[in-house]
Amino acid sequence: MKYKLFSNSHSLFVWAAVLLFLLAGSATAAIDGISGTGTGTPADPVTFDLTVKMNAISTADGGSVVFWGYADTSVPPSNANRPQYPGPTLIVEQGQTVEIILTNELELLTGATPNVSIVFPGQQVTATGGVSGLLTREAQTTDVPGTPEDESLVTYTFIATNPGTYMYHSGTRPELQVEMGLLGALIVRPAGFNPLNPTAYGPGTEYDREFLFLLSEMDPLIHETVFAYGPDAPELMETDALSDYFSKYWFMNGRTAPDNMGNAGESAGSLLLYQPYNSLPRMHPGERMLMRVIGGNREMHPFHHHGNHARVIARDGRLLDTGTGGPLAPGEDPDLSFEVFTINSVPGETVDAIFEWTGKGLNWDVYGVSDDPQFATDPPLPHDCTDLVDNETGVAPPDGYGDPGTDTPWEYCADHLKMFPTLLPQKLDLAFGGWYGGSPFLGSMGALPPGEGGLNPNGGFSYMWHSHTEKELTNFDIFPGGMLTMLIIEGWNVDID
Amino acid sequence: METYRRYLLPLLLLLVVMFGTLPVGAAISVQCPGDLDGDAIPDPVYTAETIPDPNPDGILVGDPNPDFDPNVTCMHLSSGDGYITMGDGRPMYMFGFSDVTGIPEDNVFIDGQLSHEFPSPPIALREGDVFWLTLSNVGMVDRPDLFDPHTVHYHGFPQSSNIYDGLPESGLSIKMGASLTYYYLNNDPGTYMYHCHVEATEHMQMGMLGSLYVDPIQNQTGFGGDPNTIAGKEGGPGPTGYVYNDGDGSTAYDVEFALQLGGFDSAFHDASVNTQPLPFALMKADYPMINGRGYPDTVAPVGPPAPPEARPLDGFSTQKVNALIEAAAGDRVLLRLSNLEVTRYFTLGSPGIPMRVVGKDAKLLRGPDGIDLSYTTHSLTFGGGMSYDVILDTTGMSGTHFLYATDLNFLVNGETDDGIGGMLTEIRIAPAP
Repeated sequence: MKYKLFSNSHSLFVWAAVLLFLLAGSATAAIDGISGTGTGTPADPVTFDLTVKMNAISTADGGSVVFWGYADTSVPPSNANRPQYPGPTLIVEQGQTVEIILTNELELLTGATPNVSIVFPGQQVTATGGVSGLLTREAQTTDVPGTPEDESLVTYTFIATNPGTYMYHSGTRPELQVEMGLLGALIVRPAGFNPLNPTAYGPGTEYDREFLFLLSEMDPLIHETVFAYGPDAPELMETDALSDYFSKYWFMNGRTAPDNMGNAGESAGSLLLYQPYNSLPRMHPGERMLMRVIGGNREMHPFHHHGNHARVIARDGRLLDTGTGGPLAPGEDPDLSFEVFTINSVPGETVDAIFEWTGKGLNWDVYGVSDDPQFATDPPLPHDCTDLVDNETGVAPPDGYGDPGTDTPWEYCADHLKMFPTLLPQKLDLAFGGWYGGSPFLGSMGALPPGEGGLNPNGGFSYMWHSHTEKELTNFDIFPGGMLTMLIIEGWNVDID
Repeated sequence: METYRRYLLPLLLLLVVMFGTLPVGAAISVQCPGDLDGDAIPDPVYTAETIPDPNPDGILVGDPNPDFDPNVTCMHLSSGDGYITMGDGRPMYMFGFSDVTGIPEDNVFIDGQLSHEFPSPPIALREGDVFWLTLSNVGMVDRPDLFDPHTVHYHGFPQSSNIYDGLPESGLSIKMGASLTYYYLNNDPGTYMYHCHVEATEHMQMGMLGSLYVDPIQNQTGFGGDPNTIAGKEGGPGPTGYVYNDGDGSTAYDVEFALQLGGFDSAFHDASVNTQPLPFALMKADYPMINGRGYPDTVAPVGPPAPPEARPLDGFSTQKVNALIEAAAGDRVLLRLSNLEVTRYFTLGSPGIPMRVVGKDAKLLRGPDGIDLSYTTHSLTFGGGMSYDVILDTTGMSGTHFLYATDLNFLVNGETDDGIGGMLTEIRIAPAP
C-alpha cells in the first residue's frame, strides 16, 4: 500500500482548504463529560443523577474485570444508564451551586449490599439523606420502610468556588471501592467561561485544546475475589489483596491501550460500552494544549510526554501563582509555574499543564525541502515561511514563526529550507512504526513497504505519552498496552475538529 | 543462572544468518561530518591514512579538512546483548549499548558483539553542539532467535522531531547489521537521559539505559560580561561549570557526577537468556543499582570483571561507570540524578549533606518571572523518566557520607543477605586543600 495524500497537483486544493478552515475560526476540542441540568443558582442548582451499579470492563488483552461504577442516570442519560469507568466527567462552572444525587443499585451475586458514597476533594460539601458514614453520608441499596428519610439516596451539594481539575470518588471503604471503579473527574471552568476563547483559570491560562488524562490501575485479584466472595468475605483479607496491592492493568481515562485510542462513546464497539472515554490527543503546531492529569487510584505514575516540555501551571485546582503581580495578563504564565518532561502524577492529586510544540530549533525544515534529492520520490510540499506579524497579537513585529493563514503557521522560519541532515538507511534495514507516515516531514507521506504504517493517515508527527514506569505499558503480561497513548501533531492542512 | 560457555555456536549461527538473510548493502555505516575514516571522530586535518586515493586535489598531510566543524560532535553506539556482574558476583544477561567511537566501522559488527554495557555509555554534550549519533545494531548473539531492532530515544529532547525521537511506533528503528544516524542540535542545557524505546518494557528492563546531559553556553561565555566567570571546563578562570544559563552563577559547581538509578529483575533476565516467556506482570527490581552497579561495587573505581560470556571493549569490564562521589571540603558538588528504573519510584536520601535542588527535568528551577524555585532537601522522590540537578555544599564537611534509597528494602543485591548493598553509594569528602 502506498500512501501519498498530497501530490503537488492537489496542493492548491489543500491550501485552499486550510484557508477556509482558518477563516472559519478554530473550534475547541473539549473533554467528554456531562454538565447536568439547572442554571447553577442555589434555587436551581446544576444537578447530576448518579447511580452505582456493577458490571464488567474490557481490557485490551481480551480480559474483563468486574467493576462498580457511577452511572449517569439523569434524564436523558449520557451513556444509556450504564455504570462506567471512570465515572462521568462532571463539567461545571465556577460559582455554580452543584447538586449530585446518588442512588445505590449495587446488586452483588453474593447478596451483599454495600453502602456507597461520593467525596469531592477540594470542595466544601453538604450531604443530606442516606445514612451516616465515616467520611460522608452514604447510600444504602434500599430505603428502610417506615422511616421518613430515604436511606437509598444521598444528595451532595457544593458551590464550585475555584476553577480547576478535581476528582471525585467513593468515601465508603475507599481502599476497596475506588479500586472497584468508583472514581471520576470533576472539571470546574472559570466564571464567564467562553468556549471560543477558553481558559483554565482565567487570563494567563488560555488554551486551544484540552485533554483529560485520568490515570488509574487495577489489581484483578481484588476484583475476582469481590466478585466471587463479596466485599466483606474473609477471602479478601486472606489473600492480602488489599494490603499486598499488585496492579496488573493500567488505564488512561478508563481504558487500557490500545483501546483508549479508539473512538469515544458507543461507536467504540460493544466491548467498551462501560468505558465511554478515549484518550487521543491531537493538535496543531503552535497550539496550546491544556493537559488535565489526575492520579485516580493509589499508585504514582511518571507521565512522560514525548515531544516537548510541558509547563505545570496548577496543582489540585490551584494556580501556581503568588498573586504578587496581580491578575495575570493574557499569555502571562503563573509565576510559580515550571516546566517538566515527565509529569509526576500522585494518587489523589491533579496537575494542569500546558503543552506546546513548534519544532523550533531543530536546524532542519520540519516541513521538508521540496527539491531535497534524498526524497525525490516522495517530495514534501513546497511551502513558504511567511512571517510578518506576531502570531499572538496579529500585528508587527514578526515573531520568527509562520503567520496564521499562510502555508505553514507556526513554522520556525529560521529553519526554513534547511536540508534534512542525515541519510536514512535503505528501507530493508529499517523497521517502521504503525504511526510512521513514510516521510520525516510534517504533513507529508511517503512510500512504505507493504503492511507498514497506516495509523497516521495525515503524516502527522506522533509522540508516545505514557507512564515511564514502563512495566505499566502492558496488559497483564502482554506488551504493549496499559498506560500509553499517542499524541498526534497534525499539519495545519488537517482539520482536527 | 548457570554460566553457559556457549557464545561461539550462536555467533556462528548469527554470521550464517547475517550473510544468509541480511539485505544486500546492509552495513555498519557512520555519518559524521568531517570524519574522514569512518571512526566517528571528526578529523581537523588530513593524515597519511585519510588522504584520498586517487588524490586529484593534491591534498597533503596536515592540510585542513574543509568539512571539519568544531561544533560537530559524533558518537557511534553499538547495540545488542551482553553480560554484567551483579553486586553479589552473579553474572547477568542483559541488552545494552557500548561506545564504539574510534573503532573503524568495518570492525564494529564483530567488536560490538557481546560488548554491551550497563549503564550505557554516558553522553556529555555542550549547548550548541550538533550531535551526530550513529546507532549500529550488531545483533543478539546469545539470543539468535531474536531479530529485534533498536533505537536511541533522547529522553526529554525539547521540540523533538518524529524521525529522530527513537520511538519505534512513530518512526524508524534499525535492524541487525545496519546503522541509523540521529541528528540533534542541542539548544537546551540540562540533565536528560537516553534509552532504547523498542519494546520498551523489555529492552529497558534488559538494560538499554544511560545518562545524557548538556552543558550550558554560559560555561563558554561566563555571565555578566565578566571573562573571569568563564568556566574551568572551557579553560576559563571561573568555577568548573554551571548547570544552567543562570545569569548569576547560582548553579556553579566545582565537581560533577551523573548518577542514574536503575534496577534489574533477575527473573526477567533469566527468562530472557533461557528463551522463556517474559514475566512482565510480575516484574520487580531485585537488583537495585546506581550507575549499573550495586553497593559496594558502586564505589569501586573499576567495574567488576565481566562474566566470561561477555566481550568487553576494554577486555575487562562491562560496567564502566562508578557512582563514587569524591570532593574536597568546600567543593560545590553537582549531582545529575536521573531514574530509568522501569517498575517503581525511588526516594534517594542524603542524610548527611543537604541537597540544593537547582534543576528538574532539564530546566532551571526558576519561575517565568525569575522567582527562585530552588530548594534544599535531604531526599528526592522520583519515578522513571525524571531528573534532578542538585548541588551539595560541602563546606565544613569531612569523612564519608552516604547517598541511598531510603526505600530501605532496595539496599540489597538480589536474594543474598551479606550486608548492605544495592542502591547506595558514598560521598567522600577530603580535607580542603
